[in-house]
Amino acid sequence: MSLLSAITSEARAGRSTLPRWAGALGVAGLFTAAALTALCVGRFQIMPEKAMAILLSRIAPVTPDWSAMDERIVLLVRAPRVVLASLCGAGLAMSGAALQGVFRNPLVAPQILGVSPGAAFGGALAILAGASGYALIGAACAMGVAALAMVGALARVDGRSDAIMLVLTGIVVGALFTALVSLVQFLADPNSSLPAIVFWLMGSFSAATWTRVFVAAPAVLAGMALVWLMRFRINVLSLGEEEARALGLAVDRDRWLVFAATALIEGATVSVAGVIGWVGLVVPHAARMLVGSDQRLLLPTAAALGASYLLFVDSLARAATAAEIPLGVITAVIGAPIFAALLRKTRRKEIRA
Amino acid sequence: MARRKKHGRCFAAVLLTIGAPAWERAKADDRPVTRVATIPIPSASIFIAVDGSAERLVGMHPLSRSAIEEGVLGRMFPSARVINSSIAAGGADGFMPNVETLAMLDPDVVVQWGDRGDDIVAPLRNAGMHTALMRYGTEQFARDSLTLMGEIAGKPDKARRLIAWREAVATEIAAKAAAMPDKRRLKVVYLQRASTGLVVAGANTYSDYYIRLVGGVNAAAELSGALAINAEQLAQWAPDVILLNGFEEQLTPRRIYDDPLLSGAKAAMERRVYKMPIGGYRWDPPSHENPLAWMWLAQLLYPDLFRYDLRKEIEESYQIVYGYRPSLSDIDSVLRLSVNGDARGYDRFTAVAPTPGHAP
Repeated sequence: MSLLSAITSEARAGRSTLPRWAGALGVAGLFTAAALTALCVGRFQIMPEKAMAILLSRIAPVTPDWSAMDERIVLLVRAPRVVLASLCGAGLAMSGAALQGVFRNPLVAPQILGVSPGAAFGGALAILAGASGYALIGAACAMGVAALAMVGALARVDGRSDAIMLVLTGIVVGALFTALVSLVQFLADPNSSLPAIVFWLMGSFSAATWTRVFVAAPAVLAGMALVWLMRFRINVLSLGEEEARALGLAVDRDRWLVFAATALIEGATVSVAGVIGWVGLVVPHAARMLVGSDQRLLLPTAAALGASYLLFVDSLARAATAAEIPLGVITAVIGAPIFAALLRKTRRKEIRA
Repeated sequence: MARRKKHGRCFAAVLLTIGAPAWERAKADDRPVTRVATIPIPSASIFIAVDGSAERLVGMHPLSRSAIEEGVLGRMFPSARVINSSIAAGGADGFMPNVETLAMLDPDVVVQWGDRGDDIVAPLRNAGMHTALMRYGTEQFARDSLTLMGEIAGKPDKARRLIAWREAVATEIAAKAAAMPDKRRLKVVYLQRASTGLVVAGANTYSDYYIRLVGGVNAAAELSGALAINAEQLAQWAPDVILLNGFEEQLTPRRIYDDPLLSGAKAAMERRVYKMPIGGYRWDPPSHENPLAWMWLAQLLYPDLFRYDLRKEIEESYQIVYGYRPSLSDIDSVLRLSVNGDARGYDRFTAVAPTPGHAP
C-alpha cells in the first residue's frame, strides 16, 4: 500500500497557491464555458447566437428568427443533455472524491461498492424485458440499491464492517452482478435487445429528455447534498478509522451515510445514462491537485470539474461524427492515460524520496 | 409425420465467391437429405420457401422460430412452430451450435453462418456433421443462399426460379428508377433499431441497397454499416421517409410520432413513417421475399412510377413459393395494416380481393 499512501499524502500536500476566490471563479468559468459550448455544438447546424437567443427567449422577450426545429433541438435535445451531463458529471466526481476520502485510498471509484454493476444489471434486464422509460430507470435504481444492501449485509461481521471488508465485499457483489449482466446479454435477442443493451452499457446521454432530468435530478441532488453535509466527517474519516473513533465519530454510521449518498447518485446516473466509468476516479485527482484534500473545497471543485469534463466528453460524443460515440469509450480513452501518467509521476516522486 | 423424400443424387460442392466450400457434404456420401438444421436466423424460412415444406427441417435457431410465429409462415406451415429451436446457444451473439442437441436430432446437414468466424463452425465439423455455410448481407449473398438451399433441398430449379424473380423485379425497378431526375429522389432513413436509442443503416448495408434500388437516397449513407446516432442527427438529415425495422416487435410508427423532437421531422409531419412488413420472413434483411419488399418500397416512394398490385403479387407469389393461398387478413398482417394503416399513401395497400394469377 506504500504507493497508494504516497498518492494520498501527495494529494494532501498538493495545495493550490492561488487564492480561493480565483480558484472558485476559474472552475465556475470553466463549467459555464463547457455548458454554453455544449449547447451550441451539435450535428444539427444552429448558429451559436441563435442557440443562445432560443435559450434566452424562455426568460426574456426575444423576437424569434429561428425555425420550430431549431427550437426543439436546443430546448428538447441539447438543453436536457447539458443538464443531465452536468448533474451526472458533478455527482460522479463528488462521489469519487468522498469515497476516496472515506477509504483513504485514491484508487477508489464509485463502482467499488457494486452499485453500478447492480444498476447495470437492472437496466439490462429491463431492456431485455422490452421496458424503457420509467421502468428502465426504476429497475436500474432498484438493483443499484439492492447491490449496496447486499454489500452492507455481507460486510457486516459482529455488528461492524471495516473498510477492507467493504471493498472486498463490493468487489464480490460487483462481480456477481457483472456476471448477471453477461447472462442477460447471453439471453438477449441479437437482432434487437442485445445491441441496445451493449450500447446502453457503454454509457450515453443520447436518450436524454427533460423527463429523465426530472427523474434523475432529485436523487443526484439529494446524494450530493448529503455528501456535502458530511464534508467535515469525511475529513475526519480520512484521518483513519482509529483516529476518527478516538475523536468520537460514529464511524460505521457516517461511512454508511456516505455510501448511501453515493449509491443514490450512482444508481440514478446509471439508470439515465448507462455505465460511465473513470469520471469518479480521475476527476477527484485533478480537483485534489488544484485545491488539496480538504473536502470543503474538494467536493465543490470536483463537482464543477466533473460536470465540465462530462459536458466536454458528451459534446465530443454527439458532435464529432454522425454516429454517436459511447461515452464510456471516450472517458476510458481519456481517463486511462491520465491516470497512468499520474501513477508514474507519483511513483517517481516516491522513488526519489 | 415427417414426409421423407428420397433424393438419390450426389451433391456437387457449391463454392462461395471466396472459394471456401459452402456445402461440405462428402461427394461419396450420396444419402438423401431428409433432416436439415439451420442456425442463421433467416435460413429456416429460406429453406422452407425453397423446399415448399417444413417437413425436412428438424432444428432451427430460436429467433428463426419467433420470426415464423410472428409472421404468416407459422400459419402456412403449422408444423414449423414445433420444430426444435434449442440447437444454438452461447457465444457473443448466440450462434454457437449446441452440438449435443444437434447430435440428438441427427441432421444430414447443418446450415451455419459462413462469415462470422470458424469458432461457430468448428464444433460442427469436429462432431462429424456436414455443414453448409451461408453468407449474408448483400444481394449476391442472398442469391447464393437460395442456390445453396436449392442444392440442399434437391430443388435447384425452385432456387433458380426465385433468383430469376429477384433479377426480373430488380431490373425492372432499377430501369424505372434510373430514369428519375435527381430532384425527385426522396431521402430515406432505415432505423435498424429505434426502441431504445437509434441505430441507422448506412452505406454497405442491405437496406442501403434497396433504398438506392428503388430510386431513393439513403440519408445515412455518410456512415458505413449500422451505427448508433442521436435524434439531432436524424433531424439534420431531414429524411422524407423513415422506415422502421421489422425486428423490434413492439416498435410502431408511434415511436416517431410521439417523440417530442422527431414528431417535428419532415417524415413525421407528412406521416411517412412505415414499419417494414413481415411475411414468410421479415422484409428488411436479405431473404427470399425481398422482391415483394422492393415493390412495396418503390410504390410507397413513387406511386406514380411504380403501379404494382402488391396484394395480388403477394397472393400469387405465396402460392408459387409456399403452395399457400393467403387470406385477406394474412395479407393485411404481412403489410402490417394495423400499424401502418394511417400512414401517408398506405391506403393503396388496403383490401383488394385476392384473385388467382400468374407465377412470380
